[in-house]
Amino acid sequence: MAKALHVPSDAEYADVSSQRLLGFLFFLISDCVIFGDFIFSYLYLRDVAPVWPPPGIERPYLYLAAVNSMVLFGSGATMHYAMEGIRRDRRRQFVAFILATIVLGSLFLAGQAYEYTHLHDTWAGSTFGASFFTLTGLHGFHVLIGVIYLITVFIQTLRGTYTQQRHFGLTAATLYWHFVDVIWVALFFLFYIY
Amino acid sequence: MNEQSAPVGTVASHVGGHIHPPPDSFVKKYIFSLDHKVIAVQYFITGGLFFILAGLLAELMRAQLMGPNNHVLSVETYNEAYSVHGSAMVWLVIIPLLTGGFGNLVMPLQIGARDVAFPWLNMLSFWLFPPAGILLFASFLFGAPQAGWTEYPPISLQMPFGTSLWCLAIFLIGVSATITGLNFLVTIVKMRAPGMTYTRMPLFVWATGTTALLSMIATANLSAALAGLFIERTFGVPFYNVARGGAPVLWQHVFWFYSHPAVYIMILPAFGIVSEIIPTFVRRPIFGYKMIAYSSAAIGLLSFMVWAHHMFTSGLAHWEQLLFMALTMAIAIPTGIKIFSWVATLWGGKIRLDTPLLFVLGFLSTFTFGGITGIMLASVPADIHEHGTYFVVAHLHYVLFGGSVFGIFAGLYYWWPKMTGRLLDERLGKIHFWLMFTAFNATFLPMHWIGLLGMPRRVATYDPVYAGTNEFVSISAFVLGFSFLIFLYNALRSARHGEIAGPNPWGARTLEWMIPSPAPYYNFKDIPIVLSGPYEYGAPLPYANIRQDLATVPVH
Ligand SMILES: [Cu+2]
Repeated sequence: MAKALHVPSDAEYADVSSQRLLGFLFFLISDCVIFGDFIFSYLYLRDVAPVWPPPGIERPYLYLAAVNSMVLFGSGATMHYAMEGIRRDRRRQFVAFILATIVLGSLFLAGQAYEYTHLHDTWAGSTFGASFFTLTGLHGFHVLIGVIYLITVFIQTLRGTYTQQRHFGLTAATLYWHFVDVIWVALFFLFYIY
Repeated sequence: MNEQSAPVGTVASHVGGHIHPPPDSFVKKYIFSLDHKVIAVQYFITGGLFFILAGLLAELMRAQLMGPNNHVLSVETYNEAYSVHGSAMVWLVIIPLLTGGFGNLVMPLQIGARDVAFPWLNMLSFWLFPPAGILLFASFLFGAPQAGWTEYPPISLQMPFGTSLWCLAIFLIGVSATITGLNFLVTIVKMRAPGMTYTRMPLFVWATGTTALLSMIATANLSAALAGLFIERTFGVPFYNVARGGAPVLWQHVFWFYSHPAVYIMILPAFGIVSEIIPTFVRRPIFGYKMIAYSSAAIGLLSFMVWAHHMFTSGLAHWEQLLFMALTMAIAIPTGIKIFSWVATLWGGKIRLDTPLLFVLGFLSTFTFGGITGIMLASVPADIHEHGTYFVVAHLHYVLFGGSVFGIFAGLYYWWPKMTGRLLDERLGKIHFWLMFTAFNATFLPMHWIGLLGMPRRVATYDPVYAGTNEFVSISAFVLGFSFLIFLYNALRSARHGEIAGPNPWGARTLEWMIPSPAPYYNFKDIPIVLSGPYEYGAPLPYANIRQDLATVPVH
């Protein structure tokens, strides 16, 4: 069945994108609850354990994680400037900063992969490993999805899907990227400092 | 579409404003439909089938319990039967029927929208549901779960592969409910017809909105908890196994942090249904609209703060027990407000005792009774005596059966004409009600006493002193099962012989009754404009931009 292509007016675009953004925000809230559940589990298991960390467990290396955190927070900043670029219609700024974000996000994943391969603890080895690998793994998965999402919206923008006025997808990607950043703050504190 | 004079401030009427023709292929129309009304019917049919299966499990259990040492079921099969019965009734019947069924059927119509915000997600939500049900019942082939619908470790960690299927099934249902919640919430916030402020929304929409919020937040937590259980069972990752440093009580916390709000996911939409039916059949404005609306929100909020009342025998600290006891009792206040408002609406009204109202009256009496036993269970000293006995079984069935299921039937009789265009037979409906109401009480009321005497739940055999009562309960349960056949016959009969309903057979005033029955593909030809609240009986209809020839309130 052939459908006539309908080009939405500005008001329609605003309506549809405000609906989708609200839906996306709700998605992030429920996602946050999922992290919250495992964080609660971690704190609970830590609380009932007679000694912490469990015997024979070595805590992950703080300095590597600190450097990796700086990489991720840096990508939050570059994402912000990429969005500024699209809002002010500065194409070059947008392209440079979103590429920087994608590179930094990938670096973070590489850092995490390095950490995973150099830790002696395992997922099923202890309650520490259970919480650590579940939460950081879930977070790393979110970063991976985020990098793919950023590449997608980047290509879409080059093709002209998003403009200075109409960039719902970019706004959602930015929200998501900052969300992933904020979750990392909590995880970094819980696993490397606390 | 009509763009004239839409008041500013609420929702722009051009969202979804383009009328596309309905899909013409059978698959797009009835299987992978995007239409909220078709999806609602899909939920009703699928949920109805699971209701029959889960009900048959209950009848098998009652057959086993006819005598103290029967051998109808083996001990293991009995454990599997009650575990799957409970899981199926909660996750495959009550929640999908109330939210997926009634929420989809009624809410978009009541807010004057053409569909939900994300029809594609709505279809996805539905299509996660049948696979979940199949997985749950397929668990019988691999050793079904035996730890009850709550699946406490350590038993849930020791059982065969069927329990992993249980995890997957409920996980799918959890994802489905989270998506539906998100979708409905955006719909209610963004897609109300012009002029429909929050305090002009029908009370069913208030109830559905609160439920959607609970589904979105609490159910995401359930999904995480289930993922934890699944990971532990499959990969040996220690969360709940005490031998490896895990904590079984942790599961109880995360499970009940979902499952107490889930109690309200299962009852708030029924409250909404009751709030629609009472004013319609009493022909007067609902008493305390705002109190009912805001008490829904209060219940939603409080429901996140009471979960540990299920754990008074799990070794909580004293102060925790007292705190959760007090909070639990506090949640009875907004619920009580609703009951008072409904009774005040009925009081002195011209009551028309049609079947939907009969079910509502049944709901009011049984649910209130279940609420009172709930208060008894909330008090720590009483709970320590009653925990794990048939008193709890009686209480939860008065709430979930006497509340939710009676609410579901009230809603079915009420909105059947809107869904199908035909009326159900009143005489059969009344017979169904009286049989179901009597058999329900005969089944579950005696469980209170044998529970107080100390008969434990979830055991296939029992002390012969309880034999007489159990025999009576079992016979009543068979009659209760039979009563649903009357409804089934009535429903099938109405397809051919049911009286043509017309747009508004009950003379109601909410928007879904201002359009033909069944509702046309795009619901409203023009998006209506709302001028005041929906329950002002006696005043002219508060809508502009609707077809006046349909919007007449018939006088019976
Ligand atoms: Cu509870």
